Amino acid sequence: MPSTALIFQSLILGILLGGLYALLAAGLTLYFGIMRVVMIAHSAFLILAAYLAWHFHARLGLDPLLSMLVTVPLFFGAGVATQRLLLARLRPATLTMMSVLLTFAIALVIEGLLGYVFTGTQRRIRLDYGAASLEFFGARIAVVKLIAFGMAAVALLGLYLLMKHTRFGWALRATIQHGDAARLIGIDTERVAGYGFGLGLATAAVGGTALSLDSTIYPSLHWHWIGPLMAIIVVGGLGSVPGAAIAAMTLGLAQSLLQLPLGATWAQTIFYIALFATLAVRPQGFFGGRLAQRF
Amino acid sequence: MTLATVELSKSFGGVAALDAATVTFRPGQVNALIGPNGSGKTTFFNCVTGMIRPDSGRVAYQGKDITGTAPHRIARAGMGRTFQLCRVFGRMTALDNVLVAARSGSLVERLRSPRSRDHVERARGWLARMGIDHLEHAEAGAMSWGQQKLLELAGVLMSDPETVLLDEPAGGVNPALIDRIADLVRELNAEGKTFVIVEHNMDLVMSLSDHIVVFDRGRPIAEGPPSVIRSDERVLGAYLGV
Amino acid sequence: MRSDSEQLPSGQLGRLLRVGAVGVGAALLLSFPAMAPNPYYLSAGIVVLSYAVLATSWNFVGGLTGYISLGHGALAGLGGYGTALLVTKAGLPSFVALFGAALLVALLAIPLGFAALRVRGASFVIVSIALVLILLLVFQSWASLTGGSRGLVVLRPFPGLLRPEHHRVFFFLYAALLAAALIAWWLIDRSRFGLGLKAIREDEDKAEALGTPTLSYKLIVFVVSAAFTGLGGGLYALWFGDLDPVFQFSILTGAYMVLMALLGGVRHLFGPLLGALIVGVGLEYFKVEYGSTPLHLVGSGLLLGVVVMFMPDGVIPAVSHAVRRLRGAADSSIREVTAAELAEQRRPAEPEEARR
Repeated sequence: MPSTALIFQSLILGILLGGLYALLAAGLTLYFGIMRVVMIAHSAFLILAAYLAWHFHARLGLDPLLSMLVTVPLFFGAGVATQRLLLARLRPATLTMMSVLLTFAIALVIEGLLGYVFTGTQRRIRLDYGAASLEFFGARIAVVKLIAFGMAAVALLGLYLLMKHTRFGWALRATIQHGDAARLIGIDTERVAGYGFGLGLATAAVGGTALSLDSTIYPSLHWHWIGPLMAIIVVGGLGSVPGAAIAAMTLGLAQSLLQLPLGATWAQTIFYIALFATLAVRPQGFFGGRLAQRF
Repeated sequence: MTLATVELSKSFGGVAALDAATVTFRPGQVNALIGPNGSGKTTFFNCVTGMIRPDSGRVAYQGKDITGTAPHRIARAGMGRTFQLCRVFGRMTALDNVLVAARSGSLVERLRSPRSRDHVERARGWLARMGIDHLEHAEAGAMSWGQQKLLELAGVLMSDPETVLLDEPAGGVNPALIDRIADLVRELNAEGKTFVIVEHNMDLVMSLSDHIVVFDRGRPIAEGPPSVIRSDERVLGAYLGV
Repeated sequence: MRSDSEQLPSGQLGRLLRVGAVGVGAALLLSFPAMAPNPYYLSAGIVVLSYAVLATSWNFVGGLTGYISLGHGALAGLGGYGTALLVTKAGLPSFVALFGAALLVALLAIPLGFAALRVRGASFVIVSIALVLILLLVFQSWASLTGGSRGLVVLRPFPGLLRPEHHRVFFFLYAALLAAALIAWWLIDRSRFGLGLKAIREDEDKAEALGTPTLSYKLIVFVVSAAFTGLGGGLYALWFGDLDPVFQFSILTGAYMVLMALLGGVRHLFGPLLGALIVGVGLEYFKVEYGSTPLHLVGSGLLLGVVVMFMPDGVIPAVSHAVRRLRGAADSSIREVTAAELAEQRRPAEPEEARR
């Protein structure tokens, strides 16, 4: 039996990890809500952002957090472009299936280009504050993990405020809940969908920067992220942002705690077990997820 | 051969689409289901045919409880339906569209060709009856809206239903075709098929149906023959939003 | 469907031509081992042929029902590891192990298909990808059974054979498996069962409302597809003799199957085979010319993107379309508008109010 201190530490690490999962899953479920698209390339963009942060630090010697000044607007634009130029041109009848393939193709291209430009070598940012940690009731928590969590929390809060309290957020939620009705009351749903995608990719930029702070990165790393993220949005109910956040926290915690008895690799299987169990028992997801019934 | 529901309820995200709807349709007759937009008619169809599971309440058909039964079983039990925005298999030929609905029993039989002489003859028969047999090799997606409506009906009839549910058969079709569809319904009814029709075209409903059920806010508010419904004040109220 | 003979205008002649073409194709294929200048070409031929088997197996689900699986690579990997483990741990004869493993894969496909197929579209793709990722995790971590990243060596089924002979035998074994898969697909395609599956592809609700037992149909064809995929993977294990989880449970394998089938044309019997020839030869060529750079990912990704965006029905329809246009616009009017396009045209013309 692991000591209480160790369990406490895992608990905190789980919450910190869950925060990052929540941010990234929010983006993924947002795309689904807007267009019924499973955006496989979401995590590839995440890794791309992490690489850009690393490159920023390695070449310019600046703090990787500053790279967000570039990557966030860049990714927002890339998201809008992806939606307007590619996804919106697919036939509506086969959109769900074909969009998966298209975003899968984008993920392959990103992974290939990362491998070509930066080679397959594992990379890691060395920060002055990288080794610093805080003592917290006997648990040791790395400062970078706290920063990463803080970034995720701020971005998620920003997303929440945007969706709840701005005109654009209302239009976006209307588009998600009932596209036809939104069009009838004069919302330009195409445009809203484009911005929604931009928003989703912007969260990937924030997430990627956060990830780069304390993780070793390599081009094919995105496959290790897309699986858990997809599991989270199914468990949370496809298209439901709050559902994704709750599921992310729950599963992040579960993963962190299971690492104690099982080790890191086996603990990851919790996501897939949760995914299969959800689909077998309650395919529409556990939190919200009205949309999933038909998909 | 009765189709009936008891206290059928279904809500979407807190909005009640069906609110304890208890309805009994008349076997062997042309029944109509009318009501303002959003009064729950299509949801009612979806619950009855198994496409949506109701939150509570029961659906009975031919004396059996069919609540929550899979749609294909309900279809096999003798209840066929069309869809509101006419649905055909766009990239299949008209003939194949009808052949899909043919019954086959054992697994071995299902591995035979769908174009057995018997099935093709019956399918052609229905296409001919709809007046679109000259299009049997045309891809359904390339046919006109009216032709697709007739094709959909031919498919449903191929599955040999005793009860046919039509969701807005006159929706978006020209007056000549409306008359044609009305005639078909009368003929088929005379041959013993029961109909339940959701329709907004009041002239058609009044001239065609024997029994009308009026829905408002997810439950029936009046029923009776056309003469009674025409003068019912609650019906007028529901339609005018009073 | 266009793969049916009676739809072509010149029925008899067309049929004869097609049978002739298949015969010539088969003869060319079978004479390849004799013509291959060296064992390398022969082994490249086997790789391409194994892709053809996998893509055709994938197409039972992808082509007939329209459900796109990105996880078939995992089923092939399971077939491979199943065969290898049954040979090395259980001591079964090679080909008994092969069929035993395929049977196990088919059995596993039942609960898997049940979880994945009960819900529509998106969840199916998610499950298919998740399958690859979880199996990679398991097979890498469970090193005591699978050898983990060190790999798993399988005894050759014909220890007496020299390498070129070994290749030759496996080339014909793969050709036989391909023939079996093609025949099975052809039989299903022209059956009532196949018509039901195609109805599911077009409009699942509608198919169900007409009495098609959609879930059982999807499940059955998924299991058939899994069995053939398992056989393809198992044969690879026996031929190659060395398995590594990273390659057996690679998301890329599944992506290649999709790319090949889609490129060739999922509605056509020979579509996946054609796609496998194009992509497979391309991949082998790429490997020789550029070695193992990550650029093959970029190439595959771009090709997949182009196919999805511009010719989702594959090259066969794209080419036959062009041919028909060249022949004159005699019967071109009817088929050029797809149902989806028509539905879009229709939408604005049918506002709610107009239907009252």
